[in-house]
Amino acid sequence: MQISMKVRRYDPEKDARPHWQEFNLDVAPTERVLDVLNQIKWELDGSLTFRRSCAHGICGSDAMMINGMNRLACKILVKDLGDKITVEPLRGLPVLKDLIVDMEPFFDSYRAILPYFINDDPPPPRERLQSVEDRARFDDTTKCILCAACTTSCPVFWTNGRYIGPAAIVNAHRFIFDSRDEGSAARLRVLNDANGLWRCRTAYNCTEACPRGIPITKVIEETKRELIWQRM
Amino acid sequence: MYRGREGQWAYFLHRITGVALVLYLLLHVFDISLVMYGPDGPFNAFLMFYHQWPFRIGLVMVIAAVVYHALNGLRIILLDFTTWGIRYQRVMWYTVLGVTTVIGVPVLVKILPEIFGGA
Repeated sequence: MQISMKVRRYDPEKDARPHWQEFNLDVAPTERVLDVLNQIKWELDGSLTFRRSCAHGICGSDAMMINGMNRLACKILVKDLGDKITVEPLRGLPVLKDLIVDMEPFFDSYRAILPYFINDDPPPPRERLQSVEDRARFDDTTKCILCAACTTSCPVFWTNGRYIGPAAIVNAHRFIFDSRDEGSAARLRVLNDANGLWRCRTAYNCTEACPRGIPITKVIEETKRELIWQRM
Repeated sequence: MYRGREGQWAYFLHRITGVALVLYLLLHVFDISLVMYGPDGPFNAFLMFYHQWPFRIGLVMVIAAVVYHALNGLRIILLDFTTWGIRYQRVMWYTVLGVTTVIGVPVLVKILPEIFGGA
């Protein structure tokens, strides 16, 4: 199958601004965008720069904007995109080179919501037990792989980079709704900010973009309601 | 342009109509306040100026913006305060657009003759 792939390139040492480069290739329809990018890098242009690690949708390294939507390059097949494919870096984060963005602002927000188990009670001899129902309460949000596809699909985040973003809220939800955790108050304090939870305008781009199928807008709304009830 | 779906366009349209209505409201309050200079003041002159047809089209858009912004506001309240709102957000947005259009019909019946009749 003949395809043309347009890639948004930027080399900070040579380019004043990003530009498009088009590659024409012969690929199998069942190949993934990541395979095509590898083919370009290995056979056509070794300077093409992008992140990838596990290549199986778990590590979250290769989120990028593909045909106008954020997806993982390792999870989308060529045949589902057609013969014209455009690939751009994630929006809203500074581009370092080609498809690589600076993820630090994203991880700063993630670290801010205390993304770890908090419970100062001495652990019981075996384990902290939890009912099936209590475990199911936050099952969706355990699936986040921190690829940033959601946060960088958010129109609010594009214009206000200080917005904490859907990914941080998802990971806060993971612990706020865990019956064994006792750090909810501290997390909700972080989220109760003009650039926190309330900045969400329910545009649903995060939900559409999540490669793990997390219903992110629903999760954010649940956290908003939790914050309202706790403050009342 | 990011290829978002209904939610993204609902948000963009809500923001655009919101900002447009704030600007309109400032102008509106300014115009109405001119009435304090009496019947011979600038109030009537402004009123006649706004009776020209381009401003009639503007009037149709102001009404559409008010109706859309109000109805989508109700949609957002349902999203925020109910557990089922998220499931029906697309249906609710199309309902908002539909009702806005239905309300727009009598508005057009009233205003279209004024646009083309030059009243």
